[in-house]
Amino acid sequence: MIGALSLATIPAEDEALRPAIRRFLDEAMPSLPPEQRARSWMGFDAGFSRAMAAAGWLGLTLPKEYGGGGRGPFARYVVVEELLAAGAPVAAHWIADRQSGPLIHRFGTEAQRRFYLPRICRAEAFFCIGMSEPNTGSDLASVTTRAVREEGGWRLNGAKIWTTNAQHAHYMIALVRTSGTPQDRHKGLSQLIIDLHAPGVRIHPIRDLAGDAHFAEVVFEDVRLPDDALIGEEGSGWAQVNAELAFERSGPERVLSSAVLLDEWLRWLRGAVEAEGAATEAETALLGRLVAHLAVLRAMSVSVTGHLAQGESPVVEAALVKDLGTEFEQSIPALLTPLLAQPGRAVPGGLMRTLAYTAAMAPSFSLRGGTREILRGMIARGMGLR
Amino acid sequence: MDDLLARSAEELFARHADASQPAVLLEAVEEAGFLDALVPEAAGGIGLGPAEALPILLAAGRFAVRLPLGETMLARAALAAAGVAPPPGLIGLAEPWGTDAARLPPGPCPDWALWPEGEAAMLLPLAEAMPLTEASAPGGAVLRRPGGEGPRLPAAGLLVAGAWQEVAVMAGAMERILEDTLRHARDRQQFGRPVAAFQAVQQQLSVLTEDVFATRMAAQLASVAGSDGVAGLDARRVAAAKLRAGEAACRVAGIAHAVQGAMGITEEVALHRFTGRLQAARLRFGGEAYWAEWLGRQVLADDAPDTLGFVRAHLGPALPETSP
Ligand SMILES: Cc1cc2nc3c(=O)[nH]c(=O)nc-3n(C[C@H](O)[C@H](O)[C@H](O)COP(=O)(O)OP(=O)(O)OC[C@H]3O[C@@H](n4cnc5c(N)ncnc54)[C@H](O)[C@@H]3O)c2cc1C
Repeated sequence: MIGALSLATIPAEDEALRPAIRRFLDEAMPSLPPEQRARSWMGFDAGFSRAMAAAGWLGLTLPKEYGGGGRGPFARYVVVEELLAAGAPVAAHWIADRQSGPLIHRFGTEAQRRFYLPRICRAEAFFCIGMSEPNTGSDLASVTTRAVREEGGWRLNGAKIWTTNAQHAHYMIALVRTSGTPQDRHKGLSQLIIDLHAPGVRIHPIRDLAGDAHFAEVVFEDVRLPDDALIGEEGSGWAQVNAELAFERSGPERVLSSAVLLDEWLRWLRGAVEAEGAATEAETALLGRLVAHLAVLRAMSVSVTGHLAQGESPVVEAALVKDLGTEFEQSIPALLTPLLAQPGRAVPGGLMRTLAYTAAMAPSFSLRGGTREILRGMIARGMGLR
Repeated sequence: MDDLLARSAEELFARHADASQPAVLLEAVEEAGFLDALVPEAAGGIGLGPAEALPILLAAGRFAVRLPLGETMLARAALAAAGVAPPPGLIGLAEPWGTDAARLPPGPCPDWALWPEGEAAMLLPLAEAMPLTEASAPGGAVLRRPGGEGPRLPAAGLLVAGAWQEVAVMAGAMERILEDTLRHARDRQQFGRPVAAFQAVQQQLSVLTEDVFATRMAAQLASVAGSDGVAGLDARRVAAAKLRAGEAACRVAGIAHAVQGAMGITEEVALHRFTGRLQAARLRFGGEAYWAEWLGRQVLADDAPDTLGFVRAHLGPALPETSP
């Protein structure tokens, strides 16, 4: 059974990065309306990512010899919190910085590290994650994209879908079958680094319900990959993917997806208090309630980061924080909607557009990175029920 | 240290919590020094802070201890801070009920109460206090103010102090509820398998687990002290925790009862002692609605530009450095 999470604090030397990243954001972040800032880690701006790299904010957790910051997970935690609270457009480098870089560092060969990591830190290599396929969603072990050994490398056929950032990325780290059949489930899966400019790769962006195209379908037709496209051990793809998911699930982005909406609302409420004397009881109480939830979730997320910092892989704990965190994020537009529908109140357009975007996208918060039901299944297993 | 204290508290409560004589339990608790846990060493106490004393109250919650231990610990700390020598026996933190009555903790009546009167609270003996039977409920008896006067101390901070110990007891009670419910789900068979094997039940138990973990974290956050409240408690952290724990309590009790079926509705099965304690805790020292509005006003009036800024400044896992 998993044990209670204990209170952890962000070390002072990491907390010390906060004023500097704030200053950077003041200077380098483009001025965006709130409904754009609400897109945050879905907002693509390669120029902004390069500016971050130039200022040394990328690859914080990677060793200095590869161009990284040589810091621990808490340094990145502080920086990411500030980026998300500001609604900075971080999508271009997001996946490379959060998980592909650490994955290559952990499982890659020395040559792979030397090739990819400095490029990630310079914002010259953007990555995407190729897990889902048209017929493979929650049941990830059923992937059918297949890489077959051939002289000097691999030949790849199949398709990935919902791949965030694929149309802008240089590389995909894909989970593919390298031996056996889908009936072999977790056995015979490997991770490959795919150069998305290789012949035979076709990328079809997919528009989401808000009109953005942040994800895509990626089709592989006889794509030839070199030997060293394999990352880690052949056949260890499943274990590697799961280690990656602990990083993917516990960060501040699983708590702060609706932060821009919440903060726009707070700003407007404060203005209304000045103009009209008071916020309503219902508004005040909802604000207090959401802040209380945020405080507890953040403490939990910091605690899980503490486990990561100690080199552990707190997979179940991360799932627990993500499920609670996404429920919180989803509750924000749901609970603000009735309060913003007060007859006679002049609610600013920026706030209403931010609400529209966040309310529409909120269902995705508990799909991406593993659905609510799958996470709850992991927690049940962690508690010894299955 | 933490673990040692937790273990000795659990052993003590395991031995005595079910005792039909509260006096036996009280004697053991006094002997262990728990009642003076939060009293500074200079005043003859153990000198623990809220975070270090938390395991005692978690254990009290785990064993559904029916004495106001947390309230007595805090009352003794508040009295010591005011230079008043605390009397022997249990002290309840009375909550005003109208103008000349107050609600006391559920369970056996404490010997004393810190009785709020405006800005002050007075230490009064309860032996002679008349119950207001019509106003009393399982959540606590309402007593008329006993006559006479007693030592006074500032009342500010007592509401927060009371709320803190309720959060701690809730967190402890919920952990016990979780364990008992998981065990029941594995033992109880229907359709030829344990009910824990059904996915619908598993998903409910995961939600239960999440709320229990969140409440444990809320209790730890509320115990981050160094502020100006009783035993250094910080009003904003306690407010956030009382509200979060109260919301969790509602879901936790609902799921635990659902999974334990009709058996869980019986007097014989312990579940109701824990869920009943959660319900009582939600009703005392300000409920979710009270603290939500209170905290909302703090956020509106604060300088922090955004919610994360407010959380970092006032609701973080450590007090911010006060040195420049
Ligand atoms: C915005 C966004 C970005 C994404 N980015 C990426 C990306 O970059 N790379 C990538 O690989 N994928 C990405 N995904 C895909 C994401 O990982 C999948 O959506 C997710 O794994 C669920 O798969 P599915 O959508 O096919 O749903 P399904 O798996 O088809 O599930 C449908 C419903 O059935 C439920 N269900 C399924 N199996 C079970 C079960 N065993 N028990 C109970 N309930 C079950 C699910 O919980 C869900 O409610 C992204 C998705 C979104 C929305």
